[in-house]
Amino acid sequence: MTYRVGIDIGGTFTDFALLKDDSLVLEKTLSTPEDRSLAVLEGLEKLAAREALSLGDFLDKVEAIVHGTTIADNTLIEMNGAVTGLLTTEGFRDELELRRGYKEDIWDVRLLPPKPIAPRRRRLTVPERILADGSVRTALDEEAARKAVRRLKKQGVESVAISFLFSFVNPAHEKRVAEIVAEEMPEAQISISHQVLPRAPEFERTSTTVVNAYVGPRVTAYLDQLVERLDAAGYSRELLVMQSSGGVMTREYLRGSPIRILASGPAGGVVGGANFGVAKGAEDVLCVDMGGTSYDVAVVRGGTAPAETSWNWHHRYMVAVPMVKVETVGAGGGSICHVVSGALEVGPESAGADPGPVCYGGGGDRPTVTDANLILGLLSDDSEFAGGSFRLTRKGVDEAFEKYVAGPLGCSVEQAAFDSWRVVNANMTQAVRRSTAGKGIDPRDLTLLAYGGNGPVFAGIQAQDLGISRVLVPKASPTFSALGALTAQPSIDEERSYISEAGSADIARLRELWEELDVNAEKFFLSAGYDRKDITARYQLNLRYPGQNWSLTVDVKTAKGARDLSFVSEAMRANAIDRFHSNHENEYGHRREDERPEITGVRLATSVESPKPTFGAGFSAKQREATPVKLRRANLGDGYANTNIFSGPELEPGHVVTGPAIIEETFTTLVVYPGWRAILDDAGDYEITRTS
Amino acid sequence: MSFEVNRRLVAKRSPLETDAVVDSVTAGIIRGAFETFCFETAIHLGRSASSAIINQSNERNASIIDAHGRLAGISVGIPQLLFISPLAVRWGLEHFEEDDWGPGDVFVGNDPDHGGGHLPDYTVYSPCFDADEKLVAIQAIQAHQGDTGGKDPGGFSVDSIDIFHEGMPIPVVKLVHRGVKRRDILDMIIRNNRLPSFPGDIAAMISAAQLGARLLGELVEKWGADVVRAAINWEIDDTERRFRQEVSRWPDGSYEADVWIDQDTAGNKDVHVHVACIVEGDQLTVDMTGCDDRPELVNVWNTLSNSRGYAMAQLVSMLDPFIIKNEGLFNAVEMIIPEGTIVQPPPNKPAALGAFHPACEIGEAICIALSKILPERSSPQVYKLGMPNAVIGFDEEGQMWMDQGVDVRSSDASATQGIDGWGSLCSGLGNLYLAQAEDAESRFPVINISREMTIDTGGAGRWRGQPGTLNVKQVLEPCTAMSWMVSIEHPLRGLCGGDDAGPYSNRFEVGSPNEYEVTGSVRADLPAGAVIAYQYGGGAGFEDPQLRDPDAVKQDVLDEYVSIGAARERYGVVLTGSAEECDVEVDEEGTRSLREKVAAERGAVAGGRGDEVE
Repeated sequence: MTYRVGIDIGGTFTDFALLKDDSLVLEKTLSTPEDRSLAVLEGLEKLAAREALSLGDFLDKVEAIVHGTTIADNTLIEMNGAVTGLLTTEGFRDELELRRGYKEDIWDVRLLPPKPIAPRRRRLTVPERILADGSVRTALDEEAARKAVRRLKKQGVESVAISFLFSFVNPAHEKRVAEIVAEEMPEAQISISHQVLPRAPEFERTSTTVVNAYVGPRVTAYLDQLVERLDAAGYSRELLVMQSSGGVMTREYLRGSPIRILASGPAGGVVGGANFGVAKGAEDVLCVDMGGTSYDVAVVRGGTAPAETSWNWHHRYMVAVPMVKVETVGAGGGSICHVVSGALEVGPESAGADPGPVCYGGGGDRPTVTDANLILGLLSDDSEFAGGSFRLTRKGVDEAFEKYVAGPLGCSVEQAAFDSWRVVNANMTQAVRRSTAGKGIDPRDLTLLAYGGNGPVFAGIQAQDLGISRVLVPKASPTFSALGALTAQPSIDEERSYISEAGSADIARLRELWEELDVNAEKFFLSAGYDRKDITARYQLNLRYPGQNWSLTVDVKTAKGARDLSFVSEAMRANAIDRFHSNHENEYGHRREDERPEITGVRLATSVESPKPTFGAGFSAKQREATPVKLRRANLGDGYANTNIFSGPELEPGHVVTGPAIIEETFTTLVVYPGWRAILDDAGDYEITRTS
Repeated sequence: MSFEVNRRLVAKRSPLETDAVVDSVTAGIIRGAFETFCFETAIHLGRSASSAIINQSNERNASIIDAHGRLAGISVGIPQLLFISPLAVRWGLEHFEEDDWGPGDVFVGNDPDHGGGHLPDYTVYSPCFDADEKLVAIQAIQAHQGDTGGKDPGGFSVDSIDIFHEGMPIPVVKLVHRGVKRRDILDMIIRNNRLPSFPGDIAAMISAAQLGARLLGELVEKWGADVVRAAINWEIDDTERRFRQEVSRWPDGSYEADVWIDQDTAGNKDVHVHVACIVEGDQLTVDMTGCDDRPELVNVWNTLSNSRGYAMAQLVSMLDPFIIKNEGLFNAVEMIIPEGTIVQPPPNKPAALGAFHPACEIGEAICIALSKILPERSSPQVYKLGMPNAVIGFDEEGQMWMDQGVDVRSSDASATQGIDGWGSLCSGLGNLYLAQAEDAESRFPVINISREMTIDTGGAGRWRGQPGTLNVKQVLEPCTAMSWMVSIEHPLRGLCGGDDAGPYSNRFEVGSPNEYEVTGSVRADLPAGAVIAYQYGGGAGFEDPQLRDPDAVKQDVLDEYVSIGAARERYGVVLTGSAEECDVEVDEEGTRSLREKVAAERGAVAGGRGDEVE
């Protein structure tokens, strides 16, 4: 018996998914924000106990621990990272503050600026200048650099970001200044732009490097402490950490750019969703995760969750590392329903977990989506909620809706709840549409995968709104992100800028850049104990038409095993150009045969196949109607009616539930809307499809 | 082509005919879908267009216009420009029958005398029909083109006498008929443009408009055309109602302001914009009577469509930001825009530069006028930059190149009550993405030497304007540079007692024996290696700088937004130490006595003058 453990540390709960060969055990502990590694150890102890092993014996048998965390996100939300300074090229002191002109709301003159990570006094410049071709226009003024470093030191700077123009072409000046910083400030952490994000343009690279410097010390300290505790408890293998790109990698790799773990929790869910979808025969999946405060949407295409590197604003800062694109809207169970100048709005403000929705009985007095669901009968106050931790109460719920929604709108409480449900639905539909923006994706071609505590309540109606005809809800939906982390592969995805007309791009240069990326990736895989023969490398080129600002990534070659760059040739180059023309036509509806495309960079995505949970599928179990346990008055969109209620834990593969119906699972509730029916497949997961 | 056309185009339009009744929730859902479609359309264009001003700097604007030519929905874009597309589309709609409108059609228009803004702003639009082949709405997408085929490359000429110097005006022409591109027409339009990137841009605009029309079609299919029409009516009425509700809370009265532009491109001084905002109950009237009408003025003629759009963009910034932006805004406001003046010029006037000035001064004047009653939402949504240095050359194949990304760093980012100016531009331009040196230098023969903020150029105030940046650029090949300077004598005005912003300035051939200051308009040939230095004005200050918290001034000095000298002279704050040494401290006693002295002097001056003292 071997074990693999996936862990997702969230704001409220730390979720665990233990994979024992093919079977799965789920566990949850309360998060411990003051020292997050404590909750990890506590959860591992619980899992060990369930396996009747001591923690040491259990960890000895654990082959891999894969870990997603929101620690970098929390640092940015709470703004309690390191005191950060920036050294940059003379003349470019203010790029970071000017944000390429970006403001989050163009209509609001009262929008406040983001809190600066590196205020102007800690952004200092150094005379030096490298040009686009890597040549030195102005030599580095080392004395001036030293002076600037001392000025940072005087201000108590703990972490220094260095970002010079065109350092991704020629990093000599950045390297030298890093040495000077190390001499003058031996305690400081150093983030160097050509290592954190070796590509153009300067704002994106500089901002990413500065955010890296800001969150880096906390992330690194946390990971070091976790590794230390795991080590002391008897785990001797590498800890694998989820990256925002959707892959996992070792702590050693992340030491250079800890920013790569930003938003790695949601990424785990999406990667899991991709694998889950493939197992169920759905390669194009719309993943929706609805929790207490937010609704996260991501699109999986062709069985993979693509990571994007451009224009990622995260907590008001630009972070341009590859990130699995997740669109988040403030629509969750705790979203507050309110009336603004006669119009009903839901969210983005949330009652959170404290005080929570009115029906939690925790002192909340403003109506929320969960309260609306209770009035609509989608949830009930006569059974246990959230895995039996408490019961919902109707007390105060109607009054809250009367006061804040029904009164101002002049309608009944039930109508107010129903309209709130419609509005939150519409908000979510818009978020989905934004995620498909400019991509030519028609939601009707997607399968909807719903998880998170509230996802399955709305999944069916979301599907209906979007014209989707198939919905999947995993049995493990409440801890799906931890499970997803286990399905993620060890991977490194990096790129290097090289701008040239594609037709005449320098073959030797392309080979050199891929080699550099490959050697670097190989180093980390080998030191993590993997074998070169298991490494799959996808060599890619970024291309665009002249003048375009957004590149498309074109696959050039996929190879497994020893490095062999003999494919880099003029024929390959011509092939890539052809492929770009057709990709462009697919994405944007037209091709420009008479234009000469440009290469903007080379990219290498390396990964290693590692064992991952296999999701069962199929419908071999005999299909039969399930038996409801009771009836409840509920409104599933067509008005109130007595509705069949089923008990999730009692359902077995082959059971069919025909809508309108409600299935109460341990940690969540599924609503089967009229015109839909749910079937439990052989793995016990739900498939919900249209009947009309 | 006459004032008569203008009167028709701006006339108030009736609601759409429909038997359906919608509730606020359904209307909101449909409106949200419109916004999303506009977003999708704009993203599609940004990702696929060829020129930097669209794909990098984001100058593209998507809107949905209903069958009566009313603005039904907008999403991302520049506010001023988002309000312009409806008039261009209205001209097209006037010829619905003759031009044989049908599903799958795509049109383009850019004519300032037929509802357009200025020539570079092409509006491309595609209609959506219901099952009975009745028009429901139109997806419009507007974007700035880097050339318009006029006498000078780039679409801007400092010495245009009429619109034909600037290029080819297109009232309306069909680019795609029932899904089939019209090769002959596209060929002609592409031929009238110097930029090799233009075919890519126009192809991207067409496919973006088609995408929007397709999405609209799906929406109509889902809800039914009558419901969509009812939703548009509901939203437009609701916006008017909410706007009027705000106005009814403003004190009745007439609030006036005058703003001047330093000079036109021919050197005629002090071009005058006058605005009166009259509040009576829930009715707001914006009266531009009194604006300059000197016939000899050159290049400071702003089209009617722009004048409305710029006025509305400023007004909207002074409202609850949650009010939905659509035709209801225009239904709520009476605009008096006198014919034959610089805010509604006679036909055939050049239009390119007028879209900057006096367009921005209209917004500035409205802001100043209303700052008396709406201080907490007063911040001018303008750019006072004349025409910043445009650098244009031709490569060895004779193809035109233009470093046309938006080089602006920080300019005109003004304070408002309680908030210092921040970021690079006012929030109303927050959609432009500024060009990057690493990108520009990989494409064009230029080197960006510096683009940092200049100390003390933000207007002082209890809340401070953001400093302006100094952009220093070197050209590596011989080329032509064009510029028009304003806001030297009349920089952006401080509000409610705040200081004016620092002025703009410009120098060519810096560091060479030929170095000179540009103060008016210029079109100059630059030799290879020439350096040009353009100083952007800062943002304006808000309320009396003597009221600024001395600790905030200390922080400004540490950050080198403000010098120790200006802290003393402008803010009355005495500081010790230096930013360099990171040891700046407030001299509390010195500050108290300095501020008392300033107050006493002011009292003496005011008393001596016999002016009203509050």
